Amino acid sequence: MKNRKKRCFASVLAAFYGMWFAPIAQAYSFDMIVPDVRQPASVSGGSACPVKAHQLTPAGSIAFRWSTVLNTNPVTIVTQNQTASGKLTEIQQVISQSMAVWTGVTGTALTSATFAPLTQTTTQNACGSDGIDSICFDQADAAFTPGVLAFTRVIVTDRIGLQVGSSPVATQAGQILDADIYFNPSGSQVAFATPQALAANPTAYDFESVLTHELGHTLGFSHSAVWSAMMFPFAPAPGTFSGVRPTAQQPDAPLGDDDRTGLRVLYPNPADTVHQGSIRGQIFPANPLALPASPPGVTGVFGTHVVAVDASNGAVMGATMGGWSCTAPGPAQFDGTYEIDGLPVGSSYTVYAEALNGAVNPSQVTDAINSLCRNATTDPGWPPLQGCVVPAVNTSFTTRTRPGP
Amino acid sequence: MSFEQRRRFLWILFLAGLALLAGIANATTLARMRFEDLAQQATAVARVRCVGAESRWENGEIWTETRFEVEEQNKGSLPSFVTVKMLGGRVGNLHSRIEEVPTFRAGEEAYVFLWTRNGEPYRVLGWTQGTFRIARDSRTGLETVTQDSAATPMFDLRTRQFRHGGIRNLPVAIFQLKLRKALERNAL
Repeated sequence: MKNRKKRCFASVLAAFYGMWFAPIAQAYSFDMIVPDVRQPASVSGGSACPVKAHQLTPAGSIAFRWSTVLNTNPVTIVTQNQTASGKLTEIQQVISQSMAVWTGVTGTALTSATFAPLTQTTTQNACGSDGIDSICFDQADAAFTPGVLAFTRVIVTDRIGLQVGSSPVATQAGQILDADIYFNPSGSQVAFATPQALAANPTAYDFESVLTHELGHTLGFSHSAVWSAMMFPFAPAPGTFSGVRPTAQQPDAPLGDDDRTGLRVLYPNPADTVHQGSIRGQIFPANPLALPASPPGVTGVFGTHVVAVDASNGAVMGATMGGWSCTAPGPAQFDGTYEIDGLPVGSSYTVYAEALNGAVNPSQVTDAINSLCRNATTDPGWPPLQGCVVPAVNTSFTTRTRPGP
Repeated sequence: MSFEQRRRFLWILFLAGLALLAGIANATTLARMRFEDLAQQATAVARVRCVGAESRWENGEIWTETRFEVEEQNKGSLPSFVTVKMLGGRVGNLHSRIEEVPTFRAGEEAYVFLWTRNGEPYRVLGWTQGTFRIARDSRTGLETVTQDSAATPMFDLRTRQFRHGGIRNLPVAIFQLKLRKALERNAL
C-alpha cells in the first residue's frame, strides 16, 4: 500500500492495558477448517492450510426460508402490527432488512442477488440438517437451556463432493452446506421486538440486532473483539439496538468497519479496486528463548490481537488474531505472522498488537485456535508432514515495533 | 501525524479500549445469568473430569456426548459417571458448529452446572455460562476457576460501572464457598 504508514503506540498501550487488562480475543474472525488431506487431492485440494468456512456467492446461492410458526404463549416475537398477516409482514421485513445489511457492504462478492428470494414455510420444525437454510421461532430444540436466547448452527465440509440433505454438492472445502438460526421459543423471560415495537417493549431484545448478528454466523463469521462490531459477542441490552438503523442510503449502517473489512476478506470482489490494502507483519520475542519448546517449530509469538486503526479518524478498520501463516501444502506455521486484508488503499493506518493476557483465558478461544491444526492424534491416519499442534497462546509480552526493510 | 493528531488518536484508542470492555448486558445467544440463577436453575452442580467425547448423528443433527467422571457433587444426585449431550461436533467430514457451546477435552476438569427436564439428557446450563474450568498453577499447585463466558469485563449501562461479568481466576476454595452460599440461599 503506497501511502501506508505504520505507527505503533503499543508500548504506551501495552503498559496501560498491562496494568489493567488486555482486551479480548480476536477481531473479525472466521470459522476455519483444515481440509481432510487424507482424502485424494482431487477432493481435499491437497493442502492442510486452514480455509475459511464460507457460502458460495453466485446469484441465488443462499436460499433462506423462515418458519411462520410463532410461539404465542409466551409471545416470542413482538410486533407493532397485531393482525395475523401484518405480524408476518413485519417480521419478514426485518429479516429482509437484516440480510440487506450484509449485502449492502460495498466491495464484496456478496450482493443482494446472492440471496434467493426469502420464502416462508408453515412447517413447525423447519430447522435441521436438511441442506435448507432456515430461521425458526418456535422450534423447541433440545439444545436450549435457560439463558440461551438464540443460536446459529452451521454445517461445514472439509472436502469436496459431500452434501447435507438437499444441499448442493460441495465444490469447495470449507463450504457451508446448511445454516439454521434458532430463536428460543420456550423461555418466558425472553422476547424479541421488531424495530417498530421495541420502544414500547423495552424489556424485549432487538430482533433486528440479534438476527443480523446471527446472519453473520451463517456467512462464516465467528465473533469479533471489536466493541463496535456487529459480530461482537454481546448483544445490546433489552430495549436498545446495535449501531445505527439501516437506511435506504446506507443499508449496512448497523455494521462496524471491522465487520465490513471481514466481509470483504471473506467474500472478496476481484473488481474492487478500493479495498485491496493489506498490512502484514510478524511478531517476534526479543528473546528467542522465550518461545515455547513444545510443540517444536514455533518461531514467533502466537495469539496476538493485532488491530489496524485509520490514522485520520481513529476508526478500527480491521483486526485479527495473529501468529501463524500457511503455504500449501501446509500445515500452519507458527511464525508470528499477522495479516489484515481488505483495507482501503490510500489511507494511513496505525497498527498495534496486544497479548491475550488477563481478560481472556486461552481456553476461551480453544475452538478458534484448535481449528488451525489436525494431526494423527485428532485424526487417525493424518499424514505426519501435514500435521501440526497448536502451541499455547503466548500471554506474556509487551510490544514494540522496529522499522521494516 | 501531528502531535495533536497523535494525542487525539491515543485518546480515541484509550476510550476504545475502555469501550471494548463494555460487554453490555447479554450475549447474542445467551441471556446473562447471575451465579445465583445458575445455582438455582441447575439440576445438578459438580466438579467433573472429562473422560472423553463422541459425536454422532441423531434425529438429523450432529450431537456430542461428553462423558465425565464426577469428582465432587455439590447439588443434585449424579452417578459416578455422567454424560452431557450438546449440539454440534464432527462426524466424518462434516463439522457442525455453534458459538458458545462448551467443548471439553479428555483430562480437563471443570465445575459444571447441569440442567435437564423430562428425563432428557443433561446439558450444560446456559452453555458457556454454566462452565467453570479449573486451572492448576504448575509452580504453586493453586487451583483456580474461570467461567467460560467471563472473557470480557462488562460495562453496566444502568449503573455506568465496569464490572466483571462472571468468575475469573477464583481460587477453588473461594469458589466452593461461593457455591455453597448460593445453594444455601436457594434452599431457604
